[in-house]
Amino acid sequence: MSDIAIALRGVSFTYADAATPALRDVNLTVRRGELVTIMGATGAGKTTLAKCLNRTIPAFQAGVLQGEIEILGRTLSGERVADLAGVVGLVSQDFEAQLFATNVLQEITFAMEHLGVPLADMRRRIPEALAAVGLTGFEHRDPATLSGGEKQRLAIAATLALRPPIFVFDEPTTDLDPLGKSEIFAVLARLRRDGYTMMLVEHEIAAAEHADRVVLLANGGIAAIGPPAEILPQVGLLKRHAVRPADLDCVVADLKLAPTARTLDAVAAALPNDDISLPIVTSRPNVADAPLLHADGVTYAYENDRRAVDNVSLRVDAGESIALIGQNGSGKTTLAKLLNGLLPPSGGQVRLGAEPIASMSLDRIAAEVGYVFQNPDQQIFAATVADEVAFGPRNLGLSPGEIDERVAESLHAVGLSGCESADPFLLGKGQRQCLAVASLLALRPRALILDEPTTGLDYPEQCQMMELVSRLHRDGMTLIIITHSPWVVAEYARRGVLLAQGRVLFDGPLRELFAHEDLLERCHFRVPDVTRLGLRLGFTPLSVAEFTAVYARRGR
Amino acid sequence: MRLYLYLDRDTALHRLHPTVKVCAMFCFFVAAFLSERPELLLPIAAGVLALIRWAGALSNLRRLRVLFVMVFVMTLLIWTLFYRGTGAVWLTLGPIVIRPVAVAFALGMAIKLATFLAVGLLFLSTTKIEEFAYALTQVGVPYKLGFTLTLAFRLVPVFIESASTVVQAQRCRGFNFDQGNLLERARRYVPVLVPVFMGALRRADGMAMALEARGFQSQLQRSSFEQYRFGARDLVALIIAAAVAVGFIALWWAGYTRVLG
Repeated sequence: MSDIAIALRGVSFTYADAATPALRDVNLTVRRGELVTIMGATGAGKTTLAKCLNRTIPAFQAGVLQGEIEILGRTLSGERVADLAGVVGLVSQDFEAQLFATNVLQEITFAMEHLGVPLADMRRRIPEALAAVGLTGFEHRDPATLSGGEKQRLAIAATLALRPPIFVFDEPTTDLDPLGKSEIFAVLARLRRDGYTMMLVEHEIAAAEHADRVVLLANGGIAAIGPPAEILPQVGLLKRHAVRPADLDCVVADLKLAPTARTLDAVAAALPNDDISLPIVTSRPNVADAPLLHADGVTYAYENDRRAVDNVSLRVDAGESIALIGQNGSGKTTLAKLLNGLLPPSGGQVRLGAEPIASMSLDRIAAEVGYVFQNPDQQIFAATVADEVAFGPRNLGLSPGEIDERVAESLHAVGLSGCESADPFLLGKGQRQCLAVASLLALRPRALILDEPTTGLDYPEQCQMMELVSRLHRDGMTLIIITHSPWVVAEYARRGVLLAQGRVLFDGPLRELFAHEDLLERCHFRVPDVTRLGLRLGFTPLSVAEFTAVYARRGR
Repeated sequence: MRLYLYLDRDTALHRLHPTVKVCAMFCFFVAAFLSERPELLLPIAAGVLALIRWAGALSNLRRLRVLFVMVFVMTLLIWTLFYRGTGAVWLTLGPIVIRPVAVAFALGMAIKLATFLAVGLLFLSTTKIEEFAYALTQVGVPYKLGFTLTLAFRLVPVFIESASTVVQAQRCRGFNFDQGNLLERARRYVPVLVPVFMGALRRADGMAMALEARGFQSQLQRSSFEQYRFGARDLVALIIAAAVAVGFIALWWAGYTRVLG
């Protein structure tokens, strides 16, 4: 039997309505048992490539597919997706769309029943599949009650039960919190040990570290391919292809250390460590002024008396930039929604300036505190970009002239000037996120709450989004950012509020919070590697730039 | 929020073969449907109530008590006032004439509708959605139709959640639902309906692909994990339910089920 699991020869695909091909002349061979990680910018062709492997393309997408795809020695032609179900298991980012049953057991048996797996085999495979993803004991749970990570693991288990020799994962962790991400990576590591051939599409560099080979896609073609130790240290190459390089590789490149140093220990050993301290930047400009927002012992309890937020006090001063961190279910989003009156507290009080928020109408609050939801698609509805932004000011009952002025000003602020008559649904994800921000800026709020502003964006889009946010901050906007992304916290917030089980575990300058590595780790928040490196050397840097600046000043 | 009525218990009723449950439900429906007289409907209602208790589903009855009371009272009221019968008169209030025959008919209707609800509740409390789908295929409904039903149940909470998030997101933009007359209010739902609908389309697209990736539409012969055996208990249950239905059909045939007047 051949050693080759997947062979692509001259594969190109052009979507029916597109002018340029999404994949062009891709040649790639994957050996049995290999793990290949595919990375690249949004629109580079990663998902298209993944879908070609189980015939979702061309079965579900009109277009022209050229070239030859060989799976386990069999050249694909005319197969239907279902015919490959037991051969190539495709798990995608959207776990909600991959679950169909009303309990876990039924979910696992669903695919097996469709492929006619005999009952005795099913009985053997169910516990195996559940054990492999760590869901033993969940058999009778309703999938709707599972966490994101559990849902995605269930989707993997349901595919695993078919025992496909090849797995294709299309951004399986994008919509998950750090705990969920690490759960999925643990499952992938296990599948790898069990000898499955895997192709993994991912944005995060952590997913590439343990691969056999890394492929960088650009404009539908392979821009670079090689083992991680060879590709990942090429910081410039990664950045060009929309991949955020690892902190350590950046430090090594910036300080021109020996390129073989790729672990914390090795890099730390290569650097001198004597007393270095960085100033703690407090973000409280003037504590004497009245706070902008003040939560005073607020509690939010569900019907069953479980407290999502438990007696939390938080003072937000004008001009601050605060990161709310904590794992899913820690109460971050609930607290944020209490702060702008979306949820009424069951105890305590929130004040906007001197006024209790409970006595204010929602449109008055909206004009003071903006809330950008995680997914822009949950608010975009208008036929044009300008109409979308005008929605808020119209709700405030402003004059047409004033509305036009605010639309122009908001679109300018997010860099969407000139797109006024564009259809919002045809914008890219990053632009839709900017549009969502613009539609709130049009209300001219003094504070902006951003819920996971970088989720689902590639690295350049994330940077663009955060640059926009920090520009707003420089112009005086008060920021509250809810995020799981350590580098976003480190580079864009100055005060950190750590929540766990509805309570505040830490509230203070970010540099102090990041020195509490253990506390954060217990809350499944991993400080950036450059901070970890700094902590070994006796200081708490928040970014690679800050770290390397220290050593550059000292002239090494 | 709990949307399903199914209660995961292990009673004899839960263990019945899904097809038997569907057939028995149908038999009860027929019996109640053919009866008009309260004294005939009461035993059916009492029987169903006893079964609900046996299935440990009284909690569901409590959950939906408002619905039951509303249906019962409204039906009683409306039919008492509007039933056009002849014969003795109890009370005349201007144009309103209340006759004993109308009260009897209205009471019958009220019990009948409440019984329909109770039978449905009993069925949903003891039958998983997947069992329901399976039973439907057993009585000749195509598999895909049955599956669509289970999927709908699974998606309802997803869409409710999505709609509530969209409402919150729009409220953050100063959007107020409670302004204007009925027509204006209907128009105001556009900013909510569009994102929910677009989300549903996207989800449907993803689901179609994921379904096929799990072998849906495969040409292979399907197998079944749940093995429903038709046992003696099922036979007895089926005979009893059929006997009830046949009994009421006979009464109806003989003209005993009608309220006379």
